[in-house]
Amino acid sequence: MTGFEMICEKCEELLQPYLDRELDDSERHEAESHLADCGYCKKRYRFEESLRRYVRSACAEEMSPELKARLAALRTPLT
Amino acid sequence: MAEAETDARRLATEARDRVRFEEEVLELADQVYRVARRLVGTREEAEDLVQDTYARAFRSWRSYTPGTNLRAWLMRILTNLNIDRGRRQQRSPDMQPMEEGDYFLYNRLEETTGAEDEARIVERLSQDSIVSALSSVPHDFRNVIVLVDIGDFSYQEAAQILDVPIGTVMSRLHRGRRILKSELAGTAVEEDA
Repeated sequence: MTGFEMICEKCEELLQPYLDRELDDSERHEAESHLADCGYCKKRYRFEESLRRYVRSACAEEMSPELKARLAALRTPLT
Repeated sequence: MAEAETDARRLATEARDRVRFEEEVLELADQVYRVARRLVGTREEAEDLVQDTYARAFRSWRSYTPGTNLRAWLMRILTNLNIDRGRRQQRSPDMQPMEEGDYFLYNRLEETTGAEDEARIVERLSQDSIVSALSSVPHDFRNVIVLVDIGDFSYQEAAQILDVPIGTVMSRLHRGRRILKSELAGTAVEEDA
């Protein structure tokens, strides 16, 4: 069997907030133990984590030095 | 005379606080721009939005409470301005097929490339396709994805910035990421063809 063809309810409940670092200590511990035991969730976690990292790097775009200068020029002049 | 001295001291303190505020706000400019760039369609729009955000922030610096979350305060100005400027994208979030939900993208990528390491399979997507897929996610969902995934805000901060309950942030995030993955799966098929 390839791909994700089944659903793990535990994964649905914990994976997203785990990836977002939104779980408290006991929930995080629960998520980590589950990830260690569930092959399906481990696979899904690796995919989701790398996708999130990839989205973040694809969307990184530096601001232009001109805009930076324009923002600085908006400051209140010192009298 | 003593009154004049008190006034002068008060003015000096205020000027010092304002300078410090403006410096701190400017230090956050790269992060603010990164979020703005993904909330709107073009670089020019993002630059205008950031500039308007800074103009308003500098004008209303007294309404910021020192010691509170300055990044979230700025981002709230930015998202409100973005809404005011009528950038709401009219598109139904129900347009995308969701039969396979969260697995749609992975399965599609795996199908078109053969079995691969799940941590590397995303590299099959071009960076341009990610940017374009994100821009096609409906406004309300995209806002939350951009704040949490790109701006690195917590659910609670995103809820404050957007003025919605935290449960709404979580559901929009979940739904928005699904839409994003569904869009990317469509792109993966096109790129493979």
